[in-house]
Amino acid sequence: MIELLSDYTVRLVVIGSALIGATSGGLGCYAYLRRQSLVGDVISHSSLLGIVAFFWLSHFLTGEGNKSLWVLIPGAITAGLAAMLLTRSVTNRTKLKEDAGLGVMLAIFFGTGLMLLRWIQRSSPPISGQAGLDDYLFGMAAAMTSSDLWMICSLALLSAITVLFCWSRLKILTFDEEYAAGLGLPTARWEVLLLALLVIGIVIGLQIVGVVLMVAMLIAPASAARQWTHSLGAMFCIAAGLGATCAASGAFLSSVQKGLPTGPVIVMFLTAVVIASVLLSPSRGILFGRQRLVS
Amino acid sequence: MSAELWALAIAVVTAVSCALCGSLLVVNRQSMVSEALSHAVLPGLALAFFLLRDYNSPWLLISAAAGGMLMIWLTELFRSTRIVDSDASLGIVFAGMFSLGILLVANLLRDTHFHADCVLEGNLVLAPFDRLRWGEVDLGPRDWWLMSGIVTLQLVFILVSYKELKAMLFDPQLAGRFGLRPKLFEMIWLTVVSLTTVAAFNVAGSILIVGLMIAPPAAAFLLTQRLSHLLIVATALAILSAMVGFLVSIPMEIAPTGPVASSAGLIFLLVYLFAPRSGLVSQHFQRKRKRADTIECLVLQLVADNTSLDHLTKNWNSVLRSLIDRELLVQANDKMLLTSFGQSKLDSMLAEL
Repeated sequence: MIELLSDYTVRLVVIGSALIGATSGGLGCYAYLRRQSLVGDVISHSSLLGIVAFFWLSHFLTGEGNKSLWVLIPGAITAGLAAMLLTRSVTNRTKLKEDAGLGVMLAIFFGTGLMLLRWIQRSSPPISGQAGLDDYLFGMAAAMTSSDLWMICSLALLSAITVLFCWSRLKILTFDEEYAAGLGLPTARWEVLLLALLVIGIVIGLQIVGVVLMVAMLIAPASAARQWTHSLGAMFCIAAGLGATCAASGAFLSSVQKGLPTGPVIVMFLTAVVIASVLLSPSRGILFGRQRLVS
Repeated sequence: MSAELWALAIAVVTAVSCALCGSLLVVNRQSMVSEALSHAVLPGLALAFFLLRDYNSPWLLISAAAGGMLMIWLTELFRSTRIVDSDASLGIVFAGMFSLGILLVANLLRDTHFHADCVLEGNLVLAPFDRLRWGEVDLGPRDWWLMSGIVTLQLVFILVSYKELKAMLFDPQLAGRFGLRPKLFEMIWLTVVSLTTVAAFNVAGSILIVGLMIAPPAAAFLLTQRLSHLLIVATALAILSAMVGFLVSIPMEIAPTGPVASSAGLIFLLVYLFAPRSGLVSQHFQRKRKRADTIECLVLQLVADNTSLDHLTKNWNSVLRSLIDRELLVQANDKMLLTSFGQSKLDSMLAEL
């Protein structure tokens, strides 16, 4: 194990995954508390279209497909935001509710994304560099390169700085939007910031977890952390820690063991953590905390 | 019939069954349940296949549907005990179950035709070759019979309980007062949805199920006012998207799943833009017409009150000219006068306000 950890690629993957786990675990707290986990699911599925389209664009412009995160993450962000704006427009202007709007986005963005992906894989003459593009479905940590790690670092740093500087405002906005508006905060603008943080928390992990399962990487650490504490700060730290641990161990396991797609392995770790928290938590757990929960 | 036609036929029946389920989910604001279900049925399916090694065993259906119900029950448990928020628990439970399923598929079933890609996309192209036989007689593809059976089941359910269904969907409290039990009813219906999802999973994979269950009913929701119309229009749109997607997939030489889901989504977008009353374009024109009407009404009122129009800016000239052209106003000695037609028009507009 120590030998494996000293291997350059494995070390890179483990460090990158831990960073990703910490970022999306922490940012997931906002999504969890604002009940946006289904929104997160739709953003992550939708980003497939952006990833595939930007890959194809890079092929179209330079003659060679580029799978670097510096190309694909902007694509994922674009598609995720587009899906959200379209959902908002549908729910505001028709009698359809949010759930139906979200479901339709899955058909539009994920369906079209998958269609484009298969078409790129099939195209003749073959598009160079397309091998491994379909790893974005279920995640492949071993595909991480050092330039990808820099992208992940900068996104993690950016979101950490934002969260630290805007801590109290984001907190007010998360728990009581009306109070925040009463204080004179421009809530619409802060909403956009929270949406941006949500999107960052999702796209950062698409490479290792994949578009299909990314919602668990976002929500599971937060819901496990919620069982142990009542303070947002503590919840944030616990969620980031759990996310980092699960992501790093999952990525490690899948890169040393063949035939294990990274995303599902990480999600299995996360699920175990959630189950343990739900059962064992001293105040809310099923095993020891039932009385207090009912009251 | 050729294999391609059979594949299309299977896609169409699948589309119908998904649209019928989905209409009720969309009306009941449970659309995302289909997303969760279509992922949660995988571990049951994979486990039963691993144990039995028989692709056609009914136990596959049963254990997969049981997995779906387990997910719904777990979500409900989390929600009712308020341990985890309902939509978060939906996300966690289905992601966990789906991961388990994928790991089972990727490891235990590596040497079978059951692989991770067909979990997303199904096996529509191969479905026509799996025939149902009665002795020596070839009855047609098994999946076609399966999906037709499911559609029949749904139709019987909907027709038998149509009134109760409407009461439950639109006024659960009233339904409760009639002695119906909305929770129980919902569970029965979700079992049917779960069965449909499982049956469609073989052919369609998880992505198409969500696409077909939500996009056509959502589009139909914008076009209709009644539940019966909703069901019919949703079915028609689902069939249309299955056909369009299928035709697109042939020259692209890819599995039809992505194109079908995508065309269902695009059809929704078209309806959203161009629906006669609630579409974006018609909303835009309605707003524009309303604004023009208000301005005309204002001008007519000003003239009727004998107010001077001199202070009106040039922008209003076009309004005045159009009013004169339509003989609502006449110009006499630098003054505007209301014609009798203009007076009656003004009265009717004011009455409308």
